Amino acid sequence: MTGQPWLAATFAVVMIGTAGYCLTRLAVSWRGSRPTDRQVDGMHVLMGVTMAGMLVPQLRLLSAGRWEIIFAACAVLFMYRIARAAASRWRSHDVQHLLGCAAMLYMLVFLAPLAAPRTGSAAISMLGAAAPDSAVPLMLAVALLGCVVWTADRMSSIARVAQLTAGQSRVAAAPVPLSPRLSACCEIATGVTMGYMLITMLT
Amino acid sequence: MTSQVADAWRRTPVVPAAAAPAATVPAAPDMTRGLQLVLAVLWLLDAVLQFQAVMFTPGFARTLGATAHGNPAVIAAPIAWSARLIEQHAVVADAGFAAIQLLIGLGIAWRPTIKVALGASIAWSLGVWWLGEGLGSLFNGTASPANGAPGAVILYGLLAVLLWPPRAGQRTSYAAAGRIGAQPARLLWLVLWGGLAGLALAPATAAPRALSTMIAGMSGAEPAWLARIDGQLARLLSHHGGTAAVALAILLGLIAVGIYLPEPARRPVLALAILAAAGLWLAEGLGGILTGAGTDPNTGPLLALLAIAYWTPSRPDREAASAGATGSGAAGVSRA
Repeated sequence: MTGQPWLAATFAVVMIGTAGYCLTRLAVSWRGSRPTDRQVDGMHVLMGVTMAGMLVPQLRLLSAGRWEIIFAACAVLFMYRIARAAASRWRSHDVQHLLGCAAMLYMLVFLAPLAAPRTGSAAISMLGAAAPDSAVPLMLAVALLGCVVWTADRMSSIARVAQLTAGQSRVAAAPVPLSPRLSACCEIATGVTMGYMLITMLT
Repeated sequence: MTSQVADAWRRTPVVPAAAAPAATVPAAPDMTRGLQLVLAVLWLLDAVLQFQAVMFTPGFARTLGATAHGNPAVIAAPIAWSARLIEQHAVVADAGFAAIQLLIGLGIAWRPTIKVALGASIAWSLGVWWLGEGLGSLFNGTASPANGAPGAVILYGLLAVLLWPPRAGQRTSYAAAGRIGAQPARLLWLVLWGGLAGLALAPATAAPRALSTMIAGMSGAEPAWLARIDGQLARLLSHHGGTAAVALAILLGLIAVGIYLPEPARRPVLALAILAAAGLWLAEGLGGILTGAGTDPNTGPLLALLAIAYWTPSRPDREAASAGATGSGAAGVSRA
């Protein structure tokens, strides 16, 4: 089973764009005073870079094994966030990221060993053979697409930056957060790309 | 700082209630919306399945073209024409198909575009039902409830009609009746399940070894566990195919007329419909989605979703939905 190299490259470009944008958010947040959820933005940067590397081998930054450790750490972080917030209120947002980490780990474990860099062909072309059971990537893909739909559903209830600014003018002059809607768009982009990669694993 | 943004992401509490425009207040989820979101997930799944490598080959177009066989010329000619066109431009056409399905899924999920996306999904479903599924093989004598009749894609269109957002203040007992009303919704149910019952008695299903051959044919590229299940099912039916088809027709017929039962008796019928959908899905080999060559999960999940759309929530659920719909300004399923 082979993926379309141009399609893998297209998704890789989207992922690089997402990672770049989230990196910019982090930079703006650190340099300026505009808050953002740094852990989530950082997560999008990591996911974007990793997936781009899996889609196009030439873009791979780290050797096999290191990304697994990073995403395992991210999974622990989001588990901690969920546990910490469990007493107060349900945070589906963090569950979504935990699921993303699990999917990344799954793909790294079953994709990366086979997806050795090859000239001119997408790494995605090697997917599938290592997966123990094609039902697992399918279930992960469906769950991630569910998260994408959930995020898109709530998009219209997330305030625009202009509304946040208007709100700030009435209260104390607190810093205006970076656009939560664009953060949600990054969520959707990474979710769809991950769904595509998992479906490509089906034998 | 982090929690402040997380809050903004979640529900915009950064904006004081007085400053926030009404549109930013999150709408409480109701049953109709929940089902719309499930439909959106299915469209997105279809989109990523359409991105599979095999779809970009001329073989995909030939599969579409094969649905023309046995159909009347007036139906077959446009199918053959579109299959030729897709074969000549396989990559562009398939990328376009996947993109359309992706946009429909996201459009249904994003509230401001839901009506446009549902409308587009109806048009798309009708087009694909004809040009991609040969009208579900209804006119060439090979349609069977066990092989995906009346065509998965037409069920997407039907669900779009049934789950169309209800008018403000419109109150119905179940989601499927939200916009079109209870009587038309029941009639559509009767036609669909009654039609499936009729197809179960047609030779394509009721011939002695038809069901077992059909199910055995699904298990080719399936994972071992699913091939084993389908293989055993096929062996079981190989000697009792005709009886099984009659039993299936009776079951589907009961489901069809059961929608007219009063509320307490209707629930078991809907539960039976969900079970029947699950059984048909197994017989369909889960629509071939685990083979790397499936374009959609076939009719099983859609029939189950349809049954849930006719499910009347219990009283406390209805009251909660009603309160949610009132609080959000969104019209949803409330009470009978």
